[in-house]
Amino acid sequence: MSEEMREVFGKTLVELGHEFPQLVVLDADLHTSSKAVYFKQAFPGRFIQCGIAEQNMFGIAAGLATQGFIPFPCTFAVFASQRALDQIAVSVAYPRLNVKIPGSYVGIPTSRAGASHNAVADLAIMRSLPQMRVADPGDRRELRSLMRAAVLTEGPVYFRITRYTLPDLFAPDYEFAWGRGVRLREGTDVTLVGSGMMTGFCLEAAELLAGDGISAEVLHCGSIKPLDEDLIAESARKTGAVVTAENASVVGGLGSAVAEVLAERAPAVLRRVGVQDRFIESGGIAELLAHHRMRPADIAARAREALEAKDRLP
Amino acid sequence: MRVKPEEISRLEEIAYQIRRLSLEMITCGRWGHVGGSFSLAEILACLYFHELEVDPHNPKWEGRDRFVLSKAHASPALYAALALRGFFPVEELYTYCELGGRLEGHTDMTRTPGLECSGGALGQGLSIAVGMALGFRMKEQPYSRVYCVLGDGECNEGQVWEAAMSAAHYHLDNLIAIVDYNKVMAKGFVWEEMGLEPLRAKWRAFGWEVLEVDGHDIEALLRILYEARHVRVHGAPIAIIAHTVKGKGLRETEFNYKWHTQAPDPEQADAMLRQLARNYGRPEEGYSKLNDPVAKEKFYGGE
Repeated sequence: MSEEMREVFGKTLVELGHEFPQLVVLDADLHTSSKAVYFKQAFPGRFIQCGIAEQNMFGIAAGLATQGFIPFPCTFAVFASQRALDQIAVSVAYPRLNVKIPGSYVGIPTSRAGASHNAVADLAIMRSLPQMRVADPGDRRELRSLMRAAVLTEGPVYFRITRYTLPDLFAPDYEFAWGRGVRLREGTDVTLVGSGMMTGFCLEAAELLAGDGISAEVLHCGSIKPLDEDLIAESARKTGAVVTAENASVVGGLGSAVAEVLAERAPAVLRRVGVQDRFIESGGIAELLAHHRMRPADIAARAREALEAKDRLP
Repeated sequence: MRVKPEEISRLEEIAYQIRRLSLEMITCGRWGHVGGSFSLAEILACLYFHELEVDPHNPKWEGRDRFVLSKAHASPALYAALALRGFFPVEELYTYCELGGRLEGHTDMTRTPGLECSGGALGQGLSIAVGMALGFRMKEQPYSRVYCVLGDGECNEGQVWEAAMSAAHYHLDNLIAIVDYNKVMAKGFVWEEMGLEPLRAKWRAFGWEVLEVDGHDIEALLRILYEARHVRVHGAPIAIIAHTVKGKGLRETEFNYKWHTQAPDPEQADAMLRQLARNYGRPEEGYSKLNDPVAKEKFYGGE
């Protein structure tokens, strides 16, 4: 086990700050939660506090980007994707400005704050913006590599940061690439596609399924947009049954993105694990994951369902 | 500061041309905002032909001033100013709102030379201008300025006041906001739709230096712009409340919200342009595309 993902985010910001003098960080009064505070301590002259005014913060980020800076406007994912959506769409994405948007506190494992603070629609919202790249990294190494890729990629980027620690998925030399998914486990009966923290659950689910003699393939899609359509289609053709798992709403997120690929390129039975078109309530993390049927056992159960449905196909 | 009479008449002519070309563009494009373009004509003439440090031959020159049109629906007036200043050919103005062209209905900085930002969703420009002004400070360019033109109705948007608060917090005296206070919104008078007064006190309370001017008086505008750049530079952003007339220049468009978004047909435009010429004591000239068969076909035959 390693550090919390938000710690990795904060420290990587500092590393990148040393390397890229044009990198600046903006905050909307949440820097000790997001851990952008490390950047503030390291580069006080390149840290801009915007107060609790996210719409203004994204506009300021756009203005700084036109001046050649690489701004990271930092706030919770829910405020970026909902409160400041119009600003991100018109001031940032439309002119394709070089703004990197970290969304903190995504999905279930955040706090007991409830629906106003837990982002579940951010993947759907950000994915729908033209010119926007979207990523949901699965472990600390991918987050670190993704942040470097974001800085090196011209144009707007949205990426998610799970609050807590995630188990390692990748070797230290792993490199994130836009549009590239990763096959973490080979299998022949069913494909499990995860993003963010849910890929680790998919691997656990694959173990559970193996106990029943079911061979599950596990794919990880850290890059949600562009999506590795070839990898998904190829695996779906092989197994004929797919389960997606995301720490987000199944409406418009990874599950929808995979459904689009399957419908257009490789029809297969599909089940989607994630928040089922509901607002999140206050509660403990384990409780909420059980409540929303998002645990490894739930993924395995959905996989069995998918297999049964596949067997019933003519 | 002395302003030469020749300079005033030069800028008056440019303001007249901005109105003319705006109306031509809106007619040809069959869409656009006459009222908000006409109210801005003198302000844009003074900015682009007197005040702004810009180089049309090198539009991305680092040392240039930045101009943000937050009320981006006045794009015809801005495109006219940019074309007259030499950023792109004046003939290109007739491609306004044309699919595949470089002149979008609302501004798109990725298409049009000389544009510093994209816009259209009201309330966003001042925040972008704050970012630009912070950028100048971080890049240590003390002589560069950021100008941002806001609509009066636009000041209904909460983001404007978020931006105003942040500009004062960061003591951005390199930022000059100009409110085109033309008293009319899309569907009625400002005082009926959503009152702004006391507008001066609002900006003042947000920590801004506030100046007021008749936005159609070239000499007064030049003086106030000089003051904003050189005199009132002491740690606070500067707001210029420019009192203007929506649709200024033609009796039928003045203070008339029905001309907020409306395109005249070619015959109507011809009459309006002739009247405009008479009102400004210029040689009478009608709509240049009136008898152009391609323009006619596009207007009456297309879609």
